[in-house]
Amino acid sequence: MSFIPGIGLVRGMGLTLRRFFQPKATIKWPEEKADVAPKFRGRLQLLYDEYGTLKCETCFQCAQACPIECIDMGGVDTKGRFHVHWGPPETYGERREESALRRSGRPVADTAYAHFEGIDIAPLDAILDAHDYDPKELLAILEETQAEYGYLPVAALKHISRITGAWYAQIYGTATYYRHLRFEPPAVEAVAPAGQAQIAAEDGFRSALDAALGYGGRAN
Amino acid sequence: MTTLSRSWGNMTTLGKVVVPLLLLVLVGGPILTIAVGLWVGPWLLGVLSSNMGIVRFVVAITGVLLFSIPAAFIIIYMELKVIAQMNLRVGPDRVGPAGAAHSVVAGLKVLTKEDFTPKSADVIVFTWAPVIVFLTAVMTFLVIPFGPGFIDPVTGERVGGLVGQDMNIGLLYMFAVGGMTVVGLLLAGWSSFNKYSLLGGLRSAAQVVSYEIPLTLSVVGLILLAGTMSLQGIANQQEGWFTNWFVFRQPLGALIFFIAATAEANRTPFDLTEADSEIVAGFATEYSGMRFGFLFFAEYVNVFIVSALITTLFFGAWNAPIDINAILALVGLTPPVIALDPGSLGIGLLVLIGLAPVVLTALFALPFYLAKSSRPAWKALLIGFVLFNLFAMGILTLLAYIGWGWFAGLIWFFIKSFAFVFVFVWMRGTFPRVRIDHLMGFAWKWLLPAALLNLFLTATAIVVVKSL
Repeated sequence: MSFIPGIGLVRGMGLTLRRFFQPKATIKWPEEKADVAPKFRGRLQLLYDEYGTLKCETCFQCAQACPIECIDMGGVDTKGRFHVHWGPPETYGERREESALRRSGRPVADTAYAHFEGIDIAPLDAILDAHDYDPKELLAILEETQAEYGYLPVAALKHISRITGAWYAQIYGTATYYRHLRFEPPAVEAVAPAGQAQIAAEDGFRSALDAALGYGGRAN
Repeated sequence: MTTLSRSWGNMTTLGKVVVPLLLLVLVGGPILTIAVGLWVGPWLLGVLSSNMGIVRFVVAITGVLLFSIPAAFIIIYMELKVIAQMNLRVGPDRVGPAGAAHSVVAGLKVLTKEDFTPKSADVIVFTWAPVIVFLTAVMTFLVIPFGPGFIDPVTGERVGGLVGQDMNIGLLYMFAVGGMTVVGLLLAGWSSFNKYSLLGGLRSAAQVVSYEIPLTLSVVGLILLAGTMSLQGIANQQEGWFTNWFVFRQPLGALIFFIAATAEANRTPFDLTEADSEIVAGFATEYSGMRFGFLFFAEYVNVFIVSALITTLFFGAWNAPIDINAILALVGLTPPVIALDPGSLGIGLLVLIGLAPVVLTALFALPFYLAKSSRPAWKALLIGFVLFNLFAMGILTLLAYIGWGWFAGLIWFFIKSFAFVFVFVWMRGTFPRVRIDHLMGFAWKWLLPAALLNLFLTATAIVVVKSL
């Protein structure tokens, strides 16, 4: 670009000399306070909603926006199925938790695979025994298993496959064919709104008020 | 007598020791002073004046040692502050006015730190290596001409000069002593019992030795022109207008000298010996406490020396850029001769000393007192006193500048030297570091041929001019 050797050095020197005379960016805290927007909270924390669950949806927008790429997120997606991760592997969070522990030789619990194991086999054995270990009664076995555990744990399916001799694919196919069988714990039960009785009471109060004020016949 | 004995009984043990000593000092001190003044003083003066060379040398060494530490402090502060400004920061501003005492406090911190010696280090060499580095830096001060000589009132000629020792091989001495720094660096690297220190020492030795050659060769042309290696002599030859400066007769030499001196002082972009932000601090890795402080100070003393040397050789040393006498002669005025001899005022001097502060303070305070009715008189007087001090300082500086050639020379020398210190700091704030192979390649493939070319051109020009 430049044909004069050393012109870049001179231009660089000129730049720093200009900077030398420019106003400075330093804010001398605590004597001076930065002029921040009133909406600014500056919190470095994840917020919880009113049900006590994390509001973070693991959308990674914060990690994408982070200018110095210091956000390193790992966890389970919102449906609790997949292990998701943002950021270089083997850094901060993972180093502290999984890989470092794994290198230390201790078994590490992976939250992403928590629903694959850790079930009590005894009730399942009882169910299988009641059905005489017959894979032809698979639907009944599955229904009773779901009634027992609340859903169909993968470990349970594998156990059924191993004991009855049926292929896992067959069992999995059966389980996925029927819509009332599920592979996850059910979502939080839809509790009737606490205000249902209150709304009825309010309606009664309002009609009484209407009657008292002479607005009879008003549609509620 | 009872009072005395009671007082004696009331005193603590410490008081019983201190009070007699105090009396002894109060009584014996004046007697001793008078005795020294009457008998020992003349004898001592005789001895000193008959050994003027030694006295001059000791005074010069003391002055140089006393000067080098504040100079290093000022340059360190300057570096912190200037680079901060260039990075759009404020820089140190907590200790002292605008953070001016920052580097002093940092020096005190270095003094209080633990002085650690590695287990297998060569203790003697390890201890003395920083001393060698620092002393070589300080010793080069000895030949730097800070100002022109005093004018002998009898002969009317310049004698000596504000220079520690005006050697006729001053420049050679400068390079010789400056080259000894390498020994210190190598010793520091070797004695640390650390392979990284050793490598750092070798690395810095390679760099400093390589750049020593173009540095020395670049001034050979100047020596040919000047015909002397005495720095005071070179300074004398650049008297008059700034066009007499050697930079206009040796531009290539000045450029090579500047670049090589940057590498010699281990400054960015050639600060690979330390490269504090990238690699282990080279030969200084194992040093801590004041030993590291010595290495650190030596670096900044070197910066000043290099700046002073550039000023002396190429930028007119202590000469003002404008020949004020020539301008005055052109206008038709004779330069004023102000002999600063306050004694000639006689009794008027006492009146001046007594009255001037009071009258001038009141005079300076008056407008401030009148301008704002709510301002109390003492505040106005305080302002007046400060203004009077500034005024008196300005007047005295002006008188000294006009009256004393060496004072004017000193001022110009420091202005120019610190301008070059600023350039070094400015470069540090701007340039990235050069890679080590580029560094060596630049010295051997570019600077050395350029220095030889400069020498060749200068010699040819001298021969041609003489044969005409």
